[in-house]
Amino acid sequence: MDPEIRCFAPQGRLDALTVPEFESELRGHLDRGAARVVVDFRDVTYISSSGLRALLTARRLAKSQGGDVKLCRLSPRVYEIFEMVGFTQVFGVYDSVEIAQTAFS
Amino acid sequence: MSINIDVSMSIKRELVVPGSFEYLVTIADFIAEVGCEAGFDQDTIFHVQMAVDEACSNVIEHAYCGPSKGDINLCCDCQGGEWVVTIRDKGRPFDPDQVVKPKLDTDLEDIKTGGLGLYFMHQLMDSVEFTFGKDGNKLRMVKREV
Repeated sequence: MDPEIRCFAPQGRLDALTVPEFESELRGHLDRGAARVVVDFRDVTYISSSGLRALLTARRLAKSQGGDVKLCRLSPRVYEIFEMVGFTQVFGVYDSVEIAQTAFS
Repeated sequence: MSINIDVSMSIKRELVVPGSFEYLVTIADFIAEVGCEAGFDQDTIFHVQMAVDEACSNVIEHAYCGPSKGDINLCCDCQGGEWVVTIRDKGRPFDPDQVVKPKLDTDLEDIKTGGLGLYFMHQLMDSVEFTFGKDGNKLRMVKREV
């Protein structure tokens, strides 16, 4: 595994209550210079607009550092939310962590 | 607390919770219970859950300007394949016309995400109406069975 690629897996609902922690974790990876981040959605059951905003902000920060934020293992429900706002065209969305990591190269 | 108000041939349920993000799960569970009892399919229930989650998050953030400033009153009225959700709060007046609409159809690489919650509510529900009176804000959303 490329050590410069950080992967983390939030759990449960990403709503207005839990997004600040999710955002802080995302920012933590990026602030430590890991501009290439994979977010594994395997255990995420729901994401609200606040979660989408956090991802978009993180992606912009990553891009400004020459990296990116890639996503994998979205459930059909979560994928539907991403699709509704066109985020599936903005973010790289993959079937597994390994494929998402490979997509950086 | 959940209050049962059974009306012949219809389902009417009410929930009053403090306006805090901790109660968003309680609200989602309440919507799922009502939807199941009324016989709506899982897709419809999920869409109503999300629209209500966005609406209640907006109430806490924009009407009450923060958590624990007042209650949120939810009322579900299901009848004849139509699900009416009414959300009331006593926060400051909310004018949806003042919310900047997200520009999703222009440059996806540079999306302006203001108003994303409101956008979801309109996408997920068949009708979304805001009114403000002496009793506070009232949001009436309707979902019809496909």
